[in-house]
Amino acid sequence: MTLFSLAKKNVKGNVKSYLIYFISMIFSVVIYYTFVSLQYSTEIQESMQLSQAMSSVFTGGSIVLVLFVAVFIWYSNSFFTKKRKKEVGLYSLLGLRKKTIGRMLFYENLIMGTVGLAAGVALGTLLSKLFTMIFLKLLDSAVDISFSVSVEAILNTILVFAVLILFTSVQAYRLIYRFKLIELFQAEKEGEQAPKASFAAAVIAVILLAGSYWLVFQPMTTNEQMGRNILLFTGGMIIGTYMLFRSAIVRLLSASKANKSRYYRGMNVIATSQLLFRIKGNTRTLTMISLLSAVTLSSISVGYSMYYSNGNNADESAPFSYSYISQGEALDQQVQGILENDTEHPITAHLDIPVIMLKGDISALEYVPSGFPAHESPLKLISANAYNQASKALNREGNLQLSGNEAAAILPRFTSDLSLSDYEGRSISLQTPRENRKVSLVNLLEGRVLRWSYPDVAFVVSDTAFNDLAAQIPPVIYKVYKVENQQTTKSASDQLANLAAEDMQMSSYYTVYREGLENAGLNIFILGFLGLVFLAATGSIIYFKQLTEAHADKGRYDILRKIGVSRKEIRASVAKQTFFVFVLPLAVGIMHSTMILKALSAINLIVGSLAVPIISSMAAYIVIYLGYYVLCANSFNRIVNNK
Amino acid sequence: MRTVVEAKQLRKIYGSKGNVFTALDEIDLTVQEGEFVGIMGPSGSGKSTLLNMLATIDQPTSGDIVIDGTSVLKMNEEQLSVFRRSKLGFIFQDFNLLDTLTVKENILLPLALAGMKVSELERRVDEIVDKFGIRPLLNKYPYHISGGQKQRTAASRAIVSRPSLILADEPTGSLDSKSATDLLESLKDLNEQDQTTILMVTHDAFAASYCKRVLFIKDGRMFTELVKGNTSRKDFFNKALDVLSVLGGSVSDVI
Repeated sequence: MTLFSLAKKNVKGNVKSYLIYFISMIFSVVIYYTFVSLQYSTEIQESMQLSQAMSSVFTGGSIVLVLFVAVFIWYSNSFFTKKRKKEVGLYSLLGLRKKTIGRMLFYENLIMGTVGLAAGVALGTLLSKLFTMIFLKLLDSAVDISFSVSVEAILNTILVFAVLILFTSVQAYRLIYRFKLIELFQAEKEGEQAPKASFAAAVIAVILLAGSYWLVFQPMTTNEQMGRNILLFTGGMIIGTYMLFRSAIVRLLSASKANKSRYYRGMNVIATSQLLFRIKGNTRTLTMISLLSAVTLSSISVGYSMYYSNGNNADESAPFSYSYISQGEALDQQVQGILENDTEHPITAHLDIPVIMLKGDISALEYVPSGFPAHESPLKLISANAYNQASKALNREGNLQLSGNEAAAILPRFTSDLSLSDYEGRSISLQTPRENRKVSLVNLLEGRVLRWSYPDVAFVVSDTAFNDLAAQIPPVIYKVYKVENQQTTKSASDQLANLAAEDMQMSSYYTVYREGLENAGLNIFILGFLGLVFLAATGSIIYFKQLTEAHADKGRYDILRKIGVSRKEIRASVAKQTFFVFVLPLAVGIMHSTMILKALSAINLIVGSLAVPIISSMAAYIVIYLGYYVLCANSFNRIVNNK
Repeated sequence: MRTVVEAKQLRKIYGSKGNVFTALDEIDLTVQEGEFVGIMGPSGSGKSTLLNMLATIDQPTSGDIVIDGTSVLKMNEEQLSVFRRSKLGFIFQDFNLLDTLTVKENILLPLALAGMKVSELERRVDEIVDKFGIRPLLNKYPYHISGGQKQRTAASRAIVSRPSLILADEPTGSLDSKSATDLLESLKDLNEQDQTTILMVTHDAFAASYCKRVLFIKDGRMFTELVKGNTSRKDFFNKALDVLSVLGGSVSDVI
């Protein structure tokens, strides 16, 4: 019998214990290949207006995936070798040379890796078509999808996994050299010490977590603050979580033993002590699951909220369906003609908004656009009358009344933390060729009427003040149109874009909406994809870990049944323990992700009303996660309660 | 005197048609309150099968078992659990202690399961630990103590709920001779002072010599019975050895 056939027989004979490793291998290949094949898909590239942005986002995504896949394979490989140490020790004891054993393990790993790779690519080919369809659906594009295999994607996948498989195979080869024979035999007895945790470490865990949470609420306006706070926040959260499971939870469980009348009741004594031992052996797993959950939840929430708030963003950025700065009668009529010809989108409102562009001193205000001096910042002024008309055309409530030197500020974008009190009573000074005119702010308006552009500082002044100023600085005329069904005005928008000159600042709601949709669609797809992968990985890690423990605990439950514990009581206790192991990292993950989302909105990476997308993402995650719990509790019960 | 165990015409058959093996046949057994009964026989004679049926872990093919006035064969799983918990105490060859619990927690487990009040529970544990000399070990975990100490912990757990019957399955099987002697002395004291009823399966004539009465099983049938009466333990030991040699049990098992 050659060594190669011995290795082959080994794989065949131990299908069950190899299966977990094998499945995680296939799983990794499938997700990676699916993702990469989307990246190379010509259909997707054709349907995107921003294919440049797409390829960079996909490249970022695939780097994250490579990292993830590497960690996941390394994890399942070490989990797998841990179970086999005894077998390897036995070979050595029976007189097989170390070199021979090493080579056998090397071949085994190579066989499994190669077969897993092939199976993964085959399965991935099917799945990538499905994901392409989902992706195009998210983008609202109607493109027929042919069934094609991307050679580049296959080569990319094979390259990445060949490296990983080779690496794990070398690890397998070295297994026999890394450990003494006696250590190989004692592998299964590891971690049977009574858990002890220092009080200091528990306190540090709480301080670290509280501290990193506190950082989120600190101001992060400059890049320097932002970089430092995010680094500290991430570090504190990771180390804090590890120490939380390592010490604080152990400490809490030990403390719960002190309440004798609760601890000594029924199965509590079993459940508590089992949990103590289990958490001790699972610190790293629980930490990883908490952090993965946090990342998954945040990324799904971010992706969904971007997609969800795209309409709002477009409304904010382009309140009217079309807007441009008038460049003379001839061009205005051309535009008017194009829009009137577009009968599918009848015009519901058409306004001229005169705007005075000037400089002014706004150093009394909280918000100064960066890159401009506070005492000489570019401003836009609108008259109260024009503002009220525009509001009416946009079906907004409210009527603004200003007199004399009163003015109202329009809330700049991405400054939702500012409120009326930051403006009311303060004054700004407007520079004209003849004077420095002081106006005092009496109101803060949340709805903009002009399209968004940077610097975003605009004020509404009284009609008399506006007319005074207009006599000194001639206003530009913004022509704005509102049409019905403004989300679908592709042809008219394209025609206007061709017409537009540089300084016309032509903008259409459609272009803004469409770009936002593509960006958001791309983001939700990639974040959702990564989220699904992480969720699947989290679920499988916790599931297999629990099942291994169920097998290890089987003997204990046999003893319990012999001394008179009924199957029903064991089932209830198992359900309780598993619940604890599942819910603990979930709760920590949810808390972390809330903080991450808070931090992301503090640096304006996500904006707008997020309650709906975040709550629904979390609800979906919790439902799937609890599905894993039910599955796991049932399997655990079946294993320990069998016969 | 009260009858604790009454087994009638027990029969246990393994396998199905064509390939039948009779493990036990026509076994009658009666144990009175306060007795210390040993069951001996060579390997494969069916003594462990008998003990498992009395422990309600296994069911006979036919026959009836009455323990403490209750027929155990008609009970369902849940009733049996409660029955085992309240009426029976177990001592196993491999101790069967839970390694995630301290010695004290292992001992009080049956009481905790029965929902006893903490004060009463602590008092009971306190009472027992001196009988088996394990007070200094109470807060240790099973992997920190020796085999003999483990078995004494197991014995404490078996008697803590004051069961009607203690079932011991080769309790000295994993112990060295000093620990075995200590344990047997403790069981003997328990039987003589507290009138605890003990049924012990063993293949070791030395262990059996501590019993008041020894039953011998061969090929699944009752072979003979020895009663200690007023004979010394040494004589009783020799008598048991004689029976064993007739039975064909391996004498090399004897210490």
